[in-house]
Amino acid sequence: MSGQGQVSFRNIVKMHGEFAALKGVNFDIRPGEFFALLGPSGSGKSTTLRILAGLDAPTAGRVLIDDKDVTSTDARDRDIAMVFQSYALYPHMTVAENIAFPLEMAKLPKAEIAPAVKDAARKVKIDHLLDRKPGQLSGGQQQRCALARAIVRKARLFLLDEPLSNLDAKLRLETRAELKKLQRSLGVTAVYVTHDQEEAMTLADRMAVFMSGEIQQVGTPAEVFARPNSIDIGGFIGNPPMNLIPARYVDGDVIVAGHRLKTTAATAGERDVVVGLRPGALRMTEGGVGARVDLIEDLGDTAVLDLDCAGTMIRMRVSDGNIPGEGDTISITARPQDIHLFDPATRMRL
Amino acid sequence: MTAKRLRIFALLAISMVFLLAWAFPIIWSVLNSLKTDSDVLAYPPKLVFAPTLEAYRDVLFGSGSILPNLLSSVIISVGTTILTMLMAVPAAYALARLRFRGKKFAGFYVLATQMLPPVGIIIPYFLMLRNIGWIDTYQGIILIYLSFSLPFAIWLLVSYFEDIPFEMEEAAYLDGASRLKTLWRIIIPQVRGGIAVTVVFVFLNAWNEFLFAVVLSGNTVRPVTVAMFNFVSVEQTLWAKLAAVSVLAMLPVVVLGVVAQKHIVKGLTVGAVKGGGRR
Repeated sequence: MSGQGQVSFRNIVKMHGEFAALKGVNFDIRPGEFFALLGPSGSGKSTTLRILAGLDAPTAGRVLIDDKDVTSTDARDRDIAMVFQSYALYPHMTVAENIAFPLEMAKLPKAEIAPAVKDAARKVKIDHLLDRKPGQLSGGQQQRCALARAIVRKARLFLLDEPLSNLDAKLRLETRAELKKLQRSLGVTAVYVTHDQEEAMTLADRMAVFMSGEIQQVGTPAEVFARPNSIDIGGFIGNPPMNLIPARYVDGDVIVAGHRLKTTAATAGERDVVVGLRPGALRMTEGGVGARVDLIEDLGDTAVLDLDCAGTMIRMRVSDGNIPGEGDTISITARPQDIHLFDPATRMRL
Repeated sequence: MTAKRLRIFALLAISMVFLLAWAFPIIWSVLNSLKTDSDVLAYPPKLVFAPTLEAYRDVLFGSGSILPNLLSSVIISVGTTILTMLMAVPAAYALARLRFRGKKFAGFYVLATQMLPPVGIIIPYFLMLRNIGWIDTYQGIILIYLSFSLPFAIWLLVSYFEDIPFEMEEAAYLDGASRLKTLWRIIIPQVRGGIAVTVVFVFLNAWNEFLFAVVLSGNTVRPVTVAMFNFVSVEQTLWAKLAAVSVLAMLPVVVLGVVAQKHIVKGLTVGAVKGGGRR
């Protein structure tokens, strides 16, 4: 029943009339991986998930699951389980009936269904709620019920469409951790759609970052964070996101706010660039770029400073203990390897 | 405080007037059905009289018994309701869910049929039925009733189907259910309030229908609404019997109303609460 759960998208295009929701998407998901589809709303990540699930058909391209072309296979024949953002629980059925439904559809004998339902419910800690109707559950419990319904069948692929977005902040953090453990213990391939970069960073083994219908980068969260492929990804990932400052590149140096900074990123001759600087990569040192502290957001163990660098706004993350005061003038710099260069025209990494 | 009480009192008074206007014919029927023919015609009307079930006995078991007519009404109404629902549920689902060519037109057509004045089409219907020999037959009358109950039922049901989120269905597909199974196991249980409301309305419309029945029926198939006029003739009107038949004809309507009240109220409020999970 369970396959490997290996997924390949080959040049998937999805048109909604004249509008291209997906402009030729390619990626591969490895078996057992927790794979996140990350991007702002309208970037095509949900469309991608729906095409993978078989709920939407691509306009062009092929979808392969375990090396089999499933592009025109019905959703119900793909052996895929999914948790919807709205949970989509069946309101007229009890929790137990909801969880049992996929097994009933798979024509499992009754004697096997009951223990499987109990087992799935126990895994998500709702085995005491089996006789309730979804309407009698809290949001978090409904979410767990949807999870149980998805895992009960032991499908080869496990799709999650922003499953945490309807939970309050505290519950979201708790559930996030449990979700990761659950996926590990089940060993299934999970595809996770989210617009929350923090969620993707913490959960995913690898992720694909979507920008306006295209995948701009696929990689581990650490890779994407360390080397964003484009201005848009740099500005999307990280909290606060990367500082993106128009600058001039001259022979291995960049001129930012009137100061020359060394960079290891290389491009040819002299040209306009966009410099990317992680807020956490900035250092306070003597003889760097002068900056005035406009605002301090104290987060407890760290603080985010809004700096005015000769008219350019730069955000910097500092750890507790050496936080300057508002209005102070400090001197900052960055190591050459922490300076990212992007092409202002193509918006891609140089 | 007094102003509020005055307002409540005024509202109550207005409601009572409306209630009386609505209830008067019913009270009149019930009272007269329990009188003898001479008591009915007494002037001034007798408010205190010796009630008798004579009129009921006569209309039910007398020479002009309306039992066959009640049976006709039941067959017509039940037949119309069953056939309507069998076709309206899938049709409404299709209109609410599927994308197909001419969907907009189909939706408009369904509504447009409701706007035709029945008098305008009764003659063509009569001629058509006569040509195929279906005047005074169950199939004839039920067919004609379907022509207006079906669009009405579809129109009513579509909104209930539209209230169910797409994701509910998609979840069922991913759970391995076919479209038909999804309709049966997931969708229909959630619109049963709407189905109950529609059943009641369709049944009542068919039960109460008079205009088409009087033209298209005959001596074999004669629903109770038409048969009532057996008691009205040129020489005299048998008021007590007429009233008794009216009460008898009203009875199923009242019973159905009371039984289905819960569903109707629920059905009318479904969709008012987002999610609607607590059904």
